[in-house]
Amino acid sequence: MTTATEAAEVGTGMAGGERSIVAFCCRECAYAAADTSANARTSLPPSVRLILLPCTGRVSPLHLLSALAEGADGVMVAGCLEGQCHYREGNFNAIDRVTFVQRLLESVGVEPERCRMFTMSAGEPPRFVAAVKEMDRVVGALPPLTRCAAGADPSATAVGAGDTAPGTRVGAARRSAGPALVAPGGEH
Amino acid sequence: MPLTDRGREILKRLPATHARSSGSIGCEIVRHEHLCVGCGTCARSCPTGASRRGDTFDVHQLLDAPAGSRRGELGAALRRLMRNDPSGPVEVPPRVTVYRTIVYDAERCIGCGTCARTCPVNAIEARPPEVRAAGDEGSPIANVTTAALSAETVS
Repeated sequence: MTTATEAAEVGTGMAGGERSIVAFCCRECAYAAADTSANARTSLPPSVRLILLPCTGRVSPLHLLSALAEGADGVMVAGCLEGQCHYREGNFNAIDRVTFVQRLLESVGVEPERCRMFTMSAGEPPRFVAAVKEMDRVVGALPPLTRCAAGADPSATAVGAGDTAPGTRVGAARRSAGPALVAPGGEH
Repeated sequence: MPLTDRGREILKRLPATHARSSGSIGCEIVRHEHLCVGCGTCARSCPTGASRRGDTFDVHQLLDAPAGSRRGELGAALRRLMRNDPSGPVEVPPRVTVYRTIVYDAERCIGCGTCARTCPVNAIEARPPEVRAAGDEGSPIANVTTAALSAETVS
Protein backbone atom coordinates (compact mmCIF):
# COMPACT_ATOMS: atom_id res chain seq x y z
CA MET A 1 0.00 0.00 0.00
CA THR A 2 2.85 2.34 0.75
CA THR A 3 4.19 1.98 -2.74
CA ALA A 4 0.79 2.72 -4.23
CA THR A 5 0.39 5.79 -2.06
CA GLU A 6 3.85 7.04 -2.92
CA ALA A 7 3.29 6.55 -6.61
CA ALA A 8 -0.02 8.35 -6.42
CA GLU A 9 1.70 11.16 -4.52
CA VAL A 10 4.19 11.51 -7.33
CA GLY A 11 1.27 11.53 -9.71
CA THR A 12 -0.62 14.30 -7.94
CA GLY A 13 2.54 16.36 -7.77
CA MET A 14 2.49 16.75 -11.51
CA ALA A 15 1.18 19.74 -13.39
CA GLY A 16 -2.58 20.28 -13.29
CA GLY A 17 -4.59 18.36 -15.80
CA GLU A 18 -1.97 15.64 -16.09
CA ARG A 19 -3.18 12.09 -15.73
CA SER A 20 -1.53 9.55 -13.54
CA ILE A 21 -1.64 5.83 -14.13
CA VAL A 22 -0.13 3.36 -11.71
CA ALA A 23 1.15 0.20 -13.34
CA PHE A 24 1.79 -2.78 -11.09
CA CYS A 25 4.33 -4.85 -13.00
CA CYS A 26 5.44 -8.41 -12.51
CA ARG A 27 9.21 -8.71 -12.15
CA GLU A 28 9.42 -11.75 -14.39
CA CYS A 29 7.69 -10.36 -17.46
CA ALA A 30 6.18 -6.88 -17.60
CA TYR A 31 8.94 -5.12 -15.71
CA ALA A 32 11.55 -6.89 -17.83
CA ALA A 33 9.61 -5.83 -20.92
CA ALA A 34 9.55 -2.25 -19.63
CA ASP A 35 13.30 -2.41 -19.05
CA THR A 36 13.94 -3.62 -22.57
CA SER A 37 11.70 -0.98 -24.06
CA ALA A 38 13.53 1.69 -22.07
CA ASN A 39 16.86 0.38 -23.33
CA ALA A 40 15.52 0.67 -26.86
CA ARG A 41 14.65 4.32 -26.03
CA THR A 42 10.96 3.82 -26.62
CA SER A 43 9.06 6.56 -24.88
CA LEU A 44 6.17 5.74 -22.57
CA PRO A 45 3.30 8.14 -21.86
CA PRO A 46 4.44 10.53 -19.11
CA SER A 47 1.43 9.62 -16.98
CA VAL A 48 2.53 6.11 -16.11
CA ARG A 49 4.25 5.16 -12.85
CA LEU A 50 5.70 1.68 -12.67
CA ILE A 51 5.66 -0.33 -9.47
CA LEU A 52 7.72 -3.48 -9.29
CA LEU A 53 6.14 -6.57 -7.81
CA PRO A 54 7.71 -10.00 -7.48
CA CYS A 55 4.57 -11.44 -9.05
CA THR A 56 1.18 -9.97 -9.88
CA GLY A 57 -0.26 -12.44 -7.38
CA ARG A 58 0.97 -10.00 -4.72
CA VAL A 59 -1.50 -7.35 -5.76
CA SER A 60 -4.52 -7.05 -3.52
CA PRO A 61 -7.81 -5.19 -4.02
CA LEU A 62 -6.57 -2.76 -1.36
CA HIS A 63 -3.53 -1.81 -3.48
CA LEU A 64 -5.69 -1.12 -6.51
CA LEU A 65 -8.43 0.80 -4.73
CA SER A 66 -6.13 2.85 -2.50
CA ALA A 67 -4.06 3.89 -5.53
CA LEU A 68 -7.25 5.16 -7.15
CA ALA A 69 -8.43 6.80 -3.92
CA GLU A 70 -5.10 8.54 -3.32
CA GLY A 71 -4.82 10.19 -6.70
CA ALA A 72 -4.29 7.76 -9.57
CA ASP A 73 -6.71 8.06 -12.48
CA GLY A 74 -6.15 4.52 -13.64
CA VAL A 75 -4.52 1.38 -12.33
CA MET A 76 -3.14 -1.35 -14.51
CA VAL A 77 -1.71 -4.70 -13.56
CA ALA A 78 0.74 -6.14 -16.04
CA GLY A 79 1.55 -9.79 -15.58
CA CYS A 80 2.62 -12.92 -17.38
CA LEU A 81 0.64 -14.73 -20.03
CA GLU A 82 -1.93 -17.20 -18.77
CA GLY A 83 -0.24 -20.38 -17.72
CA GLN A 84 3.25 -18.88 -17.78
CA CYS A 85 3.38 -17.42 -14.30
CA HIS A 86 6.76 -17.91 -12.65
CA TYR A 87 4.89 -18.85 -9.46
CA ARG A 88 2.36 -20.99 -11.33
CA GLU A 89 -0.92 -19.27 -10.51
CA GLY A 90 -0.13 -15.75 -9.39
CA ASN A 91 -1.49 -14.08 -12.49
CA PHE A 92 -4.76 -16.00 -12.25
CA ASN A 93 -5.19 -14.63 -8.74
CA ALA A 94 -4.43 -11.16 -10.04
CA ILE A 95 -6.95 -11.49 -12.88
CA ASP A 96 -9.71 -12.43 -10.45
CA ARG A 97 -8.80 -9.64 -8.03
CA VAL A 98 -8.81 -7.10 -10.83
CA THR A 99 -12.22 -8.40 -11.94
CA PHE A 100 -13.45 -8.08 -8.36
CA VAL A 101 -12.21 -4.49 -8.12
CA GLN A 102 -13.86 -3.70 -11.46
CA ARG A 103 -17.18 -5.00 -10.15
CA LEU A 104 -16.76 -3.04 -6.92
CA LEU A 105 -16.09 0.14 -8.88
CA GLU A 106 -19.02 -0.51 -11.16
CA SER A 107 -21.38 -1.01 -8.23
CA VAL A 108 -20.50 2.39 -6.77
CA GLY A 109 -20.78 4.19 -10.10
CA VAL A 110 -17.11 4.48 -11.12
CA GLU A 111 -16.01 3.36 -14.57
CA PRO A 112 -14.57 -0.16 -14.34
CA GLU A 113 -12.11 0.63 -17.16
CA ARG A 114 -9.98 2.48 -14.64
CA CYS A 115 -8.63 -0.84 -13.42
CA ARG A 116 -7.36 -3.31 -15.99
CA MET A 117 -5.19 -6.36 -16.27
CA PHE A 118 -2.78 -6.92 -19.16
CA THR A 119 -0.73 -9.99 -19.85
CA MET A 120 2.49 -10.21 -21.83
CA SER A 121 5.77 -12.08 -21.88
CA ALA A 122 9.19 -10.68 -21.07
CA GLY A 123 10.20 -10.71 -24.71
CA GLU A 124 7.43 -8.37 -25.86
CA PRO A 125 8.37 -4.77 -25.09
CA PRO A 126 6.10 -3.41 -27.87
CA ARG A 127 3.16 -5.14 -26.26
CA PHE A 128 3.93 -3.51 -22.93
CA VAL A 129 4.20 -0.09 -24.55
CA ALA A 130 0.95 -0.70 -26.44
CA ALA A 131 -0.77 -1.72 -23.19
CA VAL A 132 0.37 1.43 -21.40
CA LYS A 133 -0.67 3.63 -24.31
CA GLU A 134 -4.04 1.90 -24.49
CA MET A 135 -4.59 2.45 -20.78
CA ASP A 136 -3.53 6.11 -21.10
CA ARG A 137 -5.92 6.62 -23.99
CA VAL A 138 -8.88 4.93 -22.30
CA VAL A 139 -8.38 6.74 -18.99
CA GLY A 140 -7.83 10.05 -20.79
CA ALA A 141 -11.19 9.69 -22.52
CA LEU A 142 -13.05 9.16 -19.23
CA PRO A 143 -14.50 12.04 -17.23
CA PRO A 144 -12.26 13.11 -14.33
CA LEU A 145 -12.42 10.98 -11.21
CA THR A 146 -13.85 12.86 -8.25
CA ARG A 147 -12.90 11.96 -4.70
CA CYS A 148 -14.17 13.12 -1.41
CA ALA A 149 -11.77 13.75 1.43
CA ALA A 150 -10.81 10.85 3.67
CA GLY A 151 -13.22 10.39 6.55
CA ALA A 152 -16.04 12.20 4.83
CA ASP A 153 -19.56 11.45 5.89
CA PRO A 154 -20.86 8.55 3.82
CA SER A 155 -24.33 10.05 3.47
CA ALA A 156 -22.80 13.09 1.83
CA THR A 157 -20.96 11.01 -0.76
CA ALA A 158 -24.20 9.81 -2.28
CA VAL A 159 -24.66 13.21 -3.95
CA GLY A 160 -23.02 11.58 -6.87
CA ALA A 161 -22.70 14.20 -9.59
CA GLY A 162 -19.25 14.27 -11.10
CA ASP A 163 -19.17 18.05 -11.33
CA THR A 164 -19.80 18.66 -7.62
CA ALA A 165 -16.74 20.12 -5.96
CA PRO A 166 -15.45 17.55 -3.49
CA GLY A 167 -14.90 20.25 -0.86
CA THR A 168 -18.61 20.79 -0.52
CA ARG A 169 -19.22 17.15 0.22
CA VAL A 170 -17.02 16.87 3.28
CA GLY A 171 -19.17 16.06 6.26
CA ALA A 172 -18.34 15.24 9.85
CA ALA A 173 -15.05 13.39 10.09
CA ARG A 174 -15.88 9.90 11.28
CA ARG A 175 -12.37 8.64 11.72
CA SER A 176 -9.01 10.29 12.08
CA ALA A 177 -7.14 9.96 8.82
CA GLY A 178 -3.90 11.35 7.54
CA PRO A 179 -3.84 14.52 5.51
CA ALA A 180 -5.60 14.12 2.21
CA LEU A 181 -3.10 13.72 -0.59
CA VAL A 182 -5.51 15.05 -3.15
CA ALA A 183 -6.24 18.74 -3.00
CA PRO A 184 -10.03 19.17 -2.87
CA GLY A 185 -10.03 21.17 -6.05
CA GLY A 186 -11.25 18.45 -8.37
CA GLU A 187 -8.61 18.63 -11.07
CA HIS A 188 -8.29 14.89 -11.12
CA MET B 1 -15.78 -31.55 13.99
CA PRO B 2 -15.36 -30.49 10.38
CA LEU B 3 -16.89 -32.72 7.77
CA THR B 4 -15.17 -34.28 4.83
CA ASP B 5 -16.08 -33.28 1.28
CA ARG B 6 -18.08 -36.47 0.94
CA GLY B 7 -19.92 -35.69 4.15
CA ARG B 8 -20.82 -32.26 2.85
CA GLU B 9 -22.12 -33.75 -0.38
CA ILE B 10 -24.42 -36.07 1.55
CA LEU B 11 -25.50 -33.22 3.80
CA LYS B 12 -26.55 -31.15 0.78
CA ARG B 13 -28.98 -33.88 -0.27
CA LEU B 14 -30.64 -34.08 3.12
CA PRO B 15 -33.62 -31.86 3.87
CA ALA B 16 -32.65 -28.74 5.76
CA THR B 17 -34.48 -29.67 8.93
CA HIS B 18 -32.90 -33.10 9.19
CA ALA B 19 -30.02 -31.91 11.33
CA ARG B 20 -32.37 -30.06 13.65
CA SER B 21 -34.58 -33.08 14.24
CA SER B 22 -31.60 -35.09 15.41
CA GLY B 23 -31.52 -33.09 18.62
CA SER B 24 -30.69 -29.45 18.66
CA ILE B 25 -28.26 -28.08 21.23
CA GLY B 26 -30.09 -24.85 21.10
CA CYS B 27 -27.73 -21.91 21.42
CA GLU B 28 -29.00 -18.85 19.68
CA ILE B 29 -26.45 -17.87 17.04
CA VAL B 30 -26.10 -14.15 16.49
CA ARG B 31 -23.89 -12.99 13.64
CA HIS B 32 -22.33 -9.53 13.65
CA GLU B 33 -21.81 -8.92 9.96
CA HIS B 34 -19.84 -5.71 10.40
CA LEU B 35 -17.12 -7.56 12.31
CA CYS B 36 -16.92 -10.49 9.88
CA VAL B 37 -13.70 -10.64 7.87
CA GLY B 38 -14.99 -13.31 5.50
CA CYS B 39 -12.30 -15.86 6.31
CA GLY B 40 -14.75 -18.76 6.10
CA THR B 41 -13.55 -20.51 9.25
CA CYS B 42 -17.15 -20.85 10.45
CA ALA B 43 -18.12 -22.42 7.14
CA ARG B 44 -15.30 -24.94 7.44
CA SER B 45 -16.05 -25.88 11.02
CA CYS B 46 -19.85 -26.01 10.78
CA PRO B 47 -20.97 -29.63 11.30
CA THR B 48 -24.29 -29.23 9.50
CA GLY B 49 -23.37 -26.86 6.68
CA ALA B 50 -25.55 -24.06 8.05
CA SER B 51 -22.79 -21.50 7.43
CA ARG B 52 -21.23 -21.48 3.99
CA ARG B 53 -19.39 -19.14 1.71
CA GLY B 54 -21.69 -17.41 -0.73
CA ASP B 55 -21.00 -16.52 -4.36
CA THR B 56 -21.67 -12.83 -3.93
CA PHE B 57 -20.38 -10.01 -1.81
CA ASP B 58 -22.41 -7.22 -0.31
CA VAL B 59 -20.49 -3.97 -0.80
CA HIS B 60 -22.12 -2.50 2.31
CA GLN B 61 -20.01 -4.92 4.35
CA LEU B 62 -16.94 -2.98 3.24
CA LEU B 63 -18.48 0.40 3.87
CA ASP B 64 -19.76 -0.58 7.32
CA ALA B 65 -16.57 -2.32 8.44
CA PRO B 66 -14.87 -0.81 11.52
CA ALA B 67 -12.08 1.66 10.79
CA GLY B 68 -8.61 0.22 11.10
CA SER B 69 -9.53 -3.26 9.99
CA ARG B 70 -8.50 -4.55 6.60
CA ARG B 71 -12.03 -4.38 5.25
CA GLY B 72 -12.39 -0.95 6.80
CA GLU B 73 -9.35 0.31 4.88
CA LEU B 74 -10.76 -1.02 1.64
CA GLY B 75 -14.13 0.48 2.50
CA ALA B 76 -12.53 3.86 3.23
CA ALA B 77 -10.81 3.85 -0.16
CA LEU B 78 -14.05 2.86 -1.86
CA ARG B 79 -16.00 5.53 -0.01
CA ARG B 80 -13.65 8.21 -1.31
CA LEU B 81 -14.32 7.08 -4.86
CA MET B 82 -17.98 6.28 -4.77
CA ARG B 83 -20.43 8.31 -6.81
CA ASN B 84 -23.58 6.52 -5.77
CA ASP B 85 -24.63 3.97 -3.21
CA PRO B 86 -23.76 0.36 -4.10
CA SER B 87 -26.33 -1.04 -6.49
CA GLY B 88 -26.48 -4.41 -4.80
CA PRO B 89 -24.31 -7.44 -4.15
CA VAL B 90 -21.48 -8.05 -6.60
CA GLU B 91 -20.57 -11.46 -7.95
CA VAL B 92 -17.18 -12.64 -6.73
CA PRO B 93 -14.68 -14.39 -9.03
CA PRO B 94 -13.67 -17.87 -7.81
CA ARG B 95 -10.14 -16.99 -6.70
CA VAL B 96 -11.17 -14.10 -4.51
CA THR B 97 -11.81 -15.92 -1.26
CA VAL B 98 -11.98 -13.37 1.50
CA TYR B 99 -14.49 -10.93 0.09
CA ARG B 100 -17.53 -13.14 0.23
CA THR B 101 -20.68 -12.90 2.23
CA ILE B 102 -21.08 -15.84 4.57
CA VAL B 103 -24.52 -17.32 4.03
CA TYR B 104 -26.11 -18.49 7.26
CA ASP B 105 -29.01 -20.89 7.05
CA ALA B 106 -30.94 -20.87 10.34
CA GLU B 107 -32.96 -23.92 9.26
CA ARG B 108 -29.86 -26.10 9.24
CA CYS B 109 -28.31 -24.65 12.39
CA ILE B 110 -28.39 -26.85 15.49
CA GLY B 111 -26.97 -24.11 17.69
CA CYS B 112 -23.83 -26.00 18.70
CA GLY B 113 -21.73 -22.82 18.82
CA THR B 114 -18.72 -24.29 17.02
CA CYS B 115 -18.66 -21.30 14.68
CA ALA B 116 -18.59 -18.91 17.65
CA ARG B 117 -15.65 -20.77 19.17
CA THR B 118 -13.63 -20.83 15.96
CA CYS B 119 -14.39 -17.31 14.75
CA PRO B 120 -11.07 -15.42 14.91
CA VAL B 121 -12.67 -11.99 15.24
CA ASN B 122 -15.58 -12.88 17.55
CA ALA B 123 -18.14 -11.90 14.97
CA ILE B 124 -20.42 -14.76 15.99
CA GLU B 125 -22.08 -14.97 19.33
CA ALA B 126 -23.68 -18.12 20.71
CA ARG B 127 -26.18 -17.33 23.41
CA PRO B 128 -27.14 -20.30 25.56
CA PRO B 129 -30.91 -20.43 26.04
CA GLU B 130 -30.95 -20.30 29.84
CA VAL B 131 -28.76 -17.21 29.94
CA ARG B 132 -30.93 -15.59 27.31
CA ALA B 133 -34.04 -16.26 29.42
CA ALA B 134 -32.42 -14.75 32.51
CA GLY B 135 -31.08 -11.59 30.85
CA ASP B 136 -33.17 -8.64 29.88
CA GLU B 137 -33.31 -8.63 26.08
CA GLY B 138 -34.07 -4.96 25.78
CA SER B 139 -31.06 -3.25 27.30
CA PRO B 140 -27.62 -3.23 25.63
CA ILE B 141 -25.87 -3.78 28.98
CA ALA B 142 -27.71 -7.06 29.45
CA ASN B 143 -26.63 -8.08 25.96
CA VAL B 144 -22.98 -7.43 26.80
CA THR B 145 -23.31 -9.54 29.92
CA THR B 146 -24.95 -12.26 27.89
CA ALA B 147 -22.12 -12.12 25.37
CA ALA B 148 -19.49 -12.37 28.09
CA LEU B 149 -21.33 -15.22 29.77
CA SER B 150 -21.86 -17.08 26.54
CA ALA B 151 -18.20 -16.71 25.61
CA GLU B 152 -17.29 -18.31 28.93
CA THR B 153 -19.93 -20.96 28.78
CA VAL B 154 -19.25 -22.00 25.21
CA SER B 155 -15.50 -21.83 24.97
